Amino acid sequence: MYGRRASQLLKEVDSCEAGQLVPFNSDVFDQVIRECNEHNTQFQSLIRKMVEQNLDIETTRNDDHYGAAVHHLSLLRNKRCLMAYMYNRAEVIQSFRWKIGPVLPHEIQEKLHFSEKEYFKNHSAAIKSYMSEMDIDLTVDMVPPKDPYIQVRVLEDIGEVSLGDHSISLTKNSLHFLRRTDTEQFISQFWISDMELVRKHNQADSKQEW
Amino acid sequence: MSSWEDDDSAAAAAAAAAASTDVELLKRAWRNEKASPEILRFDSPLVSRVREQIQLLEETLDDFGESGVDDLVVSLYQMDLDRTLFLLRSYLRLRLQKIEKYMMHISKSEDLLSRLSQQEQRFAKSCTEMMEKHLEQSVLSKLPYGYDSVTRQSLSSTEDDMVPEPQLDTFVFCKTKSDVGAFQLDDIGEEVVDLVADDLYVLRYKSIKGLVESGQIDLI
Repeated sequence: MYGRRASQLLKEVDSCEAGQLVPFNSDVFDQVIRECNEHNTQFQSLIRKMVEQNLDIETTRNDDHYGAAVHHLSLLRNKRCLMAYMYNRAEVIQSFRWKIGPVLPHEIQEKLHFSEKEYFKNHSAAIKSYMSEMDIDLTVDMVPPKDPYIQVRVLEDIGEVSLGDHSISLTKNSLHFLRRTDTEQFISQFWISDMELVRKHNQADSKQEW
Repeated sequence: MSSWEDDDSAAAAAAAAAASTDVELLKRAWRNEKASPEILRFDSPLVSRVREQIQLLEETLDDFGESGVDDLVVSLYQMDLDRTLFLLRSYLRLRLQKIEKYMMHISKSEDLLSRLSQQEQRFAKSCTEMMEKHLEQSVLSKLPYGYDSVTRQSLSSTEDDMVPEPQLDTFVFCKTKSDVGAFQLDDIGEEVVDLVADDLYVLRYKSIKGLVESGQIDLI
């Protein structure tokens, strides 16, 4: 049936959790593109047939006219689906820049189309140039600050770090009470975690089990 | 009796003073931006004033560090600084994300573009170019002639019908700052509402757009 494959692409996007990404489905994507070109060939040949019969394409309402219209509309629908698929994915990819940072982990890279990788890179660069023009880093301070100090747990061995006037050693699994502004760069790279968020997360999990 | 009135007027004066500090103004701009479906006008003078104040606070904090002021005082100042910084960053970020969402719609309208700061305009421009290039090389270049436009479905479309636009007739929560009086919500004048000072309303954004822009009403 016309248009079924294209809607399958959108169902994939829709069934995915918000803000997440499924691997780029190049099989179905290519099939839909082929379907589009097939519709166009059919459409053209029906129009040609009408022209050969010396019928006025604008006003004639015969079988061929409606056939051509079905092909035209199916093509439009497929185009809209393909564009929506790419566009929605691009929106998720944009949001990665804010949530993860300028470098995507391998497991996300794998899910992307080559053009999407390029888009992410260019988009990152645009944000970066905005931030340097404005001379402000917008990737920190993602949640409203509550307390100038937070408790954190170190997830990876980071080693000696100098914070303002003193330096401390951040070894794996150690707990620290630090200035929030000092910790943000590590948190965004998943090197240390904010204990308050961890506790909240655990609470939410245990509630779900009930 | 009179002392009550004095208290009231003193409180009102204090509230008015608080409402007019730059941080408070930024907070209002931030809240409006957060609740409005479309991008609002960028207040450049306000943002640069807030940035100056942030710098001043940072310098004060540095001085405190050197002169050994009480830790509690330092952390109060630090808190204030952190909050202001968050507000500023969140405000700028919010706007960028809105531009990302409606880049094509914004780029083709002079009116919308004029609401952005210089830097935001450059951002919107390069974003749109990149998105178009991305869609071009992944989808459009593979489609047949006549169906390969980013903004139109096909050659037979008479206007741009593939550009995501903000929903302006969505409902928003808002609070009046002063008496507006009888206000017409639609074009034909069938729905009129009396907007009283300091009252809460749920209205269509489209109908109160003008009031938001002139600062008579705040979105929440």
